[in-house]
Amino acid sequence: MTKLLITEITRMGPAFCAIGLQRENAKIQSIRPVSPRANGWLEFPHLRGDILECNLAPFSGSKPHIEDRVATQGFKKSSQLSESETVAFLRKAESAQSMNQLFGCAIHENKNGSGLYTLPHEATRSICGCETQNLRLEMCGNELRATLALPSGEVLRDLPVVDRDWHDFTDAALAPQRGANVAARLERFLNSQFQYKTLSCPHHYVRLGITRPYHDLCWLMLDTLFPLPKPDWLEEF
Amino acid sequence: MAPSPVLPVHDLARRRRIVEECFRREAGAGAPLPGDAVDLIETGALDSMAWVSFLRTVESACGVSDLGARLTQRPSSFASILEALQEARATEPAPQSLPFARTQTESPAYALLAGSASVVGSHLMPSEEVDRLFGMPIGKLRSRAGIESIAYAANGENELTLGATALWEALRSTGCGPQELDWIVATSETHHDYPSLASQLHSRLLVRESCGALDVGGACLGLLNALAVAQALLVSGQARTVAIVTADVHSRTLTPGRVAGEFGGLFGDGASAFLLRASANGASAEYCLGEFIFGCAGQYAAAIRVSDDKDGGLAVQFDGEALSRAAITRMEKVLAQIEIRSGIPRSSVGGFATHQPNPRLVKLLAKQLGVSQSTFPPIARTSGNLGSSTCGSALHATLRAATLDSQERKPIFLASLGPGLVFGGGWLAPGSGEGSVQAS
Repeated sequence: MTKLLITEITRMGPAFCAIGLQRENAKIQSIRPVSPRANGWLEFPHLRGDILECNLAPFSGSKPHIEDRVATQGFKKSSQLSESETVAFLRKAESAQSMNQLFGCAIHENKNGSGLYTLPHEATRSICGCETQNLRLEMCGNELRATLALPSGEVLRDLPVVDRDWHDFTDAALAPQRGANVAARLERFLNSQFQYKTLSCPHHYVRLGITRPYHDLCWLMLDTLFPLPKPDWLEEF
Repeated sequence: MAPSPVLPVHDLARRRRIVEECFRREAGAGAPLPGDAVDLIETGALDSMAWVSFLRTVESACGVSDLGARLTQRPSSFASILEALQEARATEPAPQSLPFARTQTESPAYALLAGSASVVGSHLMPSEEVDRLFGMPIGKLRSRAGIESIAYAANGENELTLGATALWEALRSTGCGPQELDWIVATSETHHDYPSLASQLHSRLLVRESCGALDVGGACLGLLNALAVAQALLVSGQARTVAIVTADVHSRTLTPGRVAGEFGGLFGDGASAFLLRASANGASAEYCLGEFIFGCAGQYAAAIRVSDDKDGGLAVQFDGEALSRAAITRMEKVLAQIEIRSGIPRSSVGGFATHQPNPRLVKLLAKQLGVSQSTFPPIARTSGNLGSSTCGSALHATLRAATLDSQERKPIFLASLGPGLVFGGGWLAPGSGEGSVQAS
């Protein structure tokens, strides 16, 4: 039986992906439980900070998704940690100060338009945490995108945000029942209060991931942004 | 094609052409163009990554930086994009509403490149000698970087003397006297003294006291920054004649023992100068400045950093491989955007006046672009990397070649970059006056 602290719940299309931290002796490492049938979950009724008990079996997932493990039975919640406690553990797991440290390889930019990617055979892992010097979220053609500055001063631009809670938050912010000009109001929030709320938060932390190889490239994405959005923020704009 | 006026992309047909071209680049040349109302994501024509990538390319090509934001809660279709571009145009302030601004009919719409010159340090050193001075294996610069010789400033030469010489020649080539200058815009990545380079040139050339002197930064991107500044001064009606000077003397700073030869050995000394004039209609035998794009790719910021240390030395952080990769990728991307924005296919470009970190990378860039290497003047091969003057020397060489081949003057593409990674690009189109051939 493995105890897993859930740190990431991401949403891509209809599927969810979860990542957690596992302690192995003195080491804290990221583990991605996958269902026996697919890489994602169609339902994942748990929250960040939940500690779940589960049975995990090794999985011969392709590099660089070395964190994959098959969950051979359901998850059972045993306890829960707060956001700040969760981030304290994340800071002890995989982390990076610069671009090349993120996935142990060079990061390339899309020559045609936007986006950053790694080559599957070069990357040595698929998930990593980092502090940020600055962070900005924006809506681009209905898609949520993040731009962030690493401690090294390097800037990662236009990363797709796949964090489930931030997606739910922007969906709620754009709901028609919230009245007129919701897109402009959300944009104003993201350009003002958002930065203050996230960057001034003592447990502000970001986790980045890479997609599974797609046309032989693994695209960078923002998996998790702490602090998670609060429902009452919607009342502020 | 007439030279492009310096106005935002506002023509409906031009906007549509740009959107379609950007789509083809994202979806593939063979992908069928969707109908205007087709939702590109719902129909699977593009996935969400490709959709945003496509939008970013359109933003850049049209100069509408908030296109993505304007499309929130709209279908992912051509119709939405064209509508949002139209709205962006409608919300631009009318010239008449700006205080003190001239109306469009009063303002000159074109900046013409009337004259140019370039000089290099008069001490030409074979690259093998440079290898020896920096303690590197003999032949390393030639075999690894493709550099045959490096131009070094001789005793008595510096940024001021090289820059002034280039400016005198540029003035002489156009029959323009120094007193006609309204502004001197200077850029250098090695001159950090005060009075600044622009003010020293101002004094050296004895221009009018009321001629402005302005220094712009950007290191190797400096020339493009200066061209954009000069263009703004000219089309706003603030100036009629502007001189641009680049001057870089690396050999006094990047010395053996202070920096590694793999870095310092690449650089030479040189200068370039350009004379720009305002024109109301672009009808001229000269080249007309098109539009510029600029940006900063911060993901490459760590590839090169140069700073003074507290002991008076120079702290250089230089990841050659990462920088090479970044330079090629970014310049290729900039030139592709220029191609889209200008509507000028790269195959019909007469010359590429780009930064040349080293000759090997120029060769690689030409290959990546699918154009002949001969369209890149061999500046770095014979003189080394001249900093901001590399692009200047390349532009002068391209203009000179165009003058010699007066039967078919073709457009010129510009691209450069500097630490940061700041980047920029633009184009020059032949004027439509007597003696010039319009670009097709």
